[in-house]
Amino acid sequence: MSVDVTSVDRDTLLRPIETLSRRYVAALAVALGLIGVWLAFYVQQLQHGLVVTNLSDWGSGGGVPWGLYIGAFIWWVGIAHGGIILSAAVRLLGMDTYQPVARLAELLTIAALSCAGLFILIHVGRPDRLVTSVLPAWPTCVQWSPLMWDVTVITAYFVLTATYLLLTIRYDVSRLRDRLPPRLEPLYRALLVGYSETEDAVVERMVWWLAFAIIIMAPLLLHGGVIPWLFALLPSMAGWHGGVQGPSFLSIALTSAVSGIVIVSAAFRYAYDWEALIPDAVFRGLGQWLGFFGLIFLWLQLQQVITGIFAAPTTLQHATEVKISTPLYWVAIGLVAAAMLYVFASSLRPTLFSIPALVVASVGVLVGTLVEKVLFVVEGLQHAHFDLYNGVPGAYTPSAVELSALAGTVGIVALFFLVVSKVIPVVELHAIEDYEEVDT
Amino acid sequence: MSTDDDSLYTSPDDEERHRRLLDETEYDTELGLEMARDAQRVSAGELSEVEFYRRYHERIVEEFDIDDREIDLPDPDEAEGSGEGFLDDLGSVLADVDPETDESRRSVMQKGAAVAGGLAVGGWGTVQNAAGQDGGGGADAPGDDEEGTRWGMTINLNNCDGCLACMVACDQEHNLSRGAHWMYVFAYEDEGQADENFLPRTCQHCTDSPCTKVCPVGARHTRTEDGLVLTDYDICIGCRYCEVSCPYGVNYFQWGEPDVPESEIDEDTQYDDRGRWVGNRPPEGVMGKCTFCVDRQDGAMGEDLVGTTACEEACAMDAIHFGDLNDPESAPNRHLREYREAQPNDTSEFPDRKEHTVSTFELLAERGTEPNVTFVGNEPSPHAEQVEGPVTYEEMGLVDDRKEVLDDGATATQGGESA
Ligand code: SF4
Ligand code: SF4
Ligand code: SF4
Repeated sequence: MSVDVTSVDRDTLLRPIETLSRRYVAALAVALGLIGVWLAFYVQQLQHGLVVTNLSDWGSGGGVPWGLYIGAFIWWVGIAHGGIILSAAVRLLGMDTYQPVARLAELLTIAALSCAGLFILIHVGRPDRLVTSVLPAWPTCVQWSPLMWDVTVITAYFVLTATYLLLTIRYDVSRLRDRLPPRLEPLYRALLVGYSETEDAVVERMVWWLAFAIIIMAPLLLHGGVIPWLFALLPSMAGWHGGVQGPSFLSIALTSAVSGIVIVSAAFRYAYDWEALIPDAVFRGLGQWLGFFGLIFLWLQLQQVITGIFAAPTTLQHATEVKISTPLYWVAIGLVAAAMLYVFASSLRPTLFSIPALVVASVGVLVGTLVEKVLFVVEGLQHAHFDLYNGVPGAYTPSAVELSALAGTVGIVALFFLVVSKVIPVVELHAIEDYEEVDT
Repeated sequence: MSTDDDSLYTSPDDEERHRRLLDETEYDTELGLEMARDAQRVSAGELSEVEFYRRYHERIVEEFDIDDREIDLPDPDEAEGSGEGFLDDLGSVLADVDPETDESRRSVMQKGAAVAGGLAVGGWGTVQNAAGQDGGGGADAPGDDEEGTRWGMTINLNNCDGCLACMVACDQEHNLSRGAHWMYVFAYEDEGQADENFLPRTCQHCTDSPCTKVCPVGARHTRTEDGLVLTDYDICIGCRYCEVSCPYGVNYFQWGEPDVPESEIDEDTQYDDRGRWVGNRPPEGVMGKCTFCVDRQDGAMGEDLVGTTACEEACAMDAIHFGDLNDPESAPNRHLREYREAQPNDTSEFPDRKEHTVSTFELLAERGTEPNVTFVGNEPSPHAEQVEGPVTYEEMGLVDDRKEVLDDGATATQGGESA
């Protein structure tokens, strides 16, 4: 179901770079405002320590030591990983329909990974030691610590994605250079260091291999591997253990990522009248993927609930019973289920389909997956195998400082897209022109 | 390890025994003992292997009349880099001295040199581990082997009356912030047990500790020399992964500024014998938990207090017994033995019964952590419930639920700004 957008001209592609609207400035202000709110709160955390969160020790301490920060960390990593898997699939399997949004997905990956990293930074008690403690310990601790596996793999992913993005950007920049803003010339020159058109063929092959590496790594290592292993390998908490966490995390990552791409793409299409560049077919296709991944997500939740309540060991049974009696859990499940049903219904009755409705469904899915992730962390910690303590299960509601960080990271992602879209084309030249055309 | 007599000599008795052994030989008693002492320093990491070599090489040659080439000792500078220490070589060289040509040398090997060489070789393995990453992932943790010291406890629940004196003693000695209880005493009711029961809970100093495995920076580690599970306060990044992975809930993070400022803490109680900051309360943003009173074990509070803990000392009911589990005569082993002996089983009619009627358990043994704390009494069932004890936490001036303290801190620091 390939869609031909090759009729679109370069003017359309360069519209974000060549225009400046009042709406843009307003969006910039909102993004900066969100970041500002978070910074204002974060200063308190720097001054007083993590006591400004609503976290506490589990056990006699009556709380949970990990909360929204870790939940949001997994959520952002999930969005990031799904984004890059999607873009890699476009290149590897030649899913040309999605070519117009491939770069947006890659950019989303970079932004979301940065936010995930930020959440680690603000989660730890001594951010000042992150470099001095982690680097010397790396060779030893990477053999044991799942957290170190995470840091390693996420760094590797960041590097892969950035390389991948850079290679494809060079191609576009070299061809569009005369139309790009002259004041950024030094930046473009830096981007193009050593570039010659003869590298295109090599780059194409490199990009293919990078995409291949990403597709292989993602389920084995990333959101199907080291991230769930952070929890699934521990002997302490009943709700975390087990092999289902890998597939379950991966399904959540893919569901959230497709939602993220839908939202970002719809925003650009709306802002720059890109109906021709990012046609309906892209959204219909993304919607179907959303429905499909949502179905897998729900199926894996079902697996966990059923195995958790039917003749499960006492502590797991207890944890599962509490999980399914938590209203918020059903809100999360409901949001994903609603999105899935909408998407499937609109494929049966195409008249039901509309991009705004899909965006609403996607926002719902993102809220749902965030809630599910935070609940997974928090409720997991509330149901330790050793529950003799009065303080188990501990109590937790995120504090204003913690919630503000969520707003801050959303602001950072928005800001990132606003800035990047003024500097490089956020849709590849390949989407509108074939290689050959460009080369001649 | 190369010799029969390869346990680490720690007590004065041992030294006396070796003096007598060495005195029987025609060789220099003082040299043998000095080497033994310094070999221990090598194993504790206080003395480098090369320095040990330099110090004794000449005198060994003089005394035992073996010259350089015969011994074939490696160049000391090379010894640094090579995987095998020269002490290993020394041990094997001494062991290889031909018994037929020199009978007296043989006796030196077996007696005097066994003290020096054997001990040093025994200690060397320890240094090599310590130089890397002490028990980083648990693979090189001391384990249950019968060598060296392995600190542990026997806690007799039948003796505990829930007075909470141990909690107070630990909180005070380590300057813990309100609500952080490295020692925590449960009062609980359980099915099939008539009365209230009590369970004092320290860190279990697990031999296969998940907390050391998961720590991303190696701050949480097992001290190789004696199995203590400690947190290096200078390295910890405060990720709280150790806390999340511990099945017992014994970790207490320093969420805000500590109640007791740094200036009021005696530095001797903070740095252990390796010079690492692992003792007393943690600074802000760093993880803390029971250290088995590492400062006491390292002699920072006087030789008398080595082998004791604050909680043990505070216990008037003789419930807590701390000591070296590898020493059959240590307090935990002796208590267990005597307690069992005092409650013999009737085997006259049923010879297959075990010899005593004492029930013991390790907390959550099925989690595979291999705790170094053994409890005497009945293990709380999954249905046990914590209840208010005869002495409440408030009566002892303790805060039970730390979240109350932290919530105060959170609102106090946020002032009216937060919505
Ligand atoms: S009890 Fe917990 S903190 Fe202590 S050694 Fe075992 S796992 Fe680590
Ligand atoms: S809180 Fe400190 S000791 Fe615990 S796992 Fe993290 S870095 Fe290691
Ligand atoms: S052994 Fe020492 S640190 Fe541990 S609970 Fe007892 S007094 Fe506290």
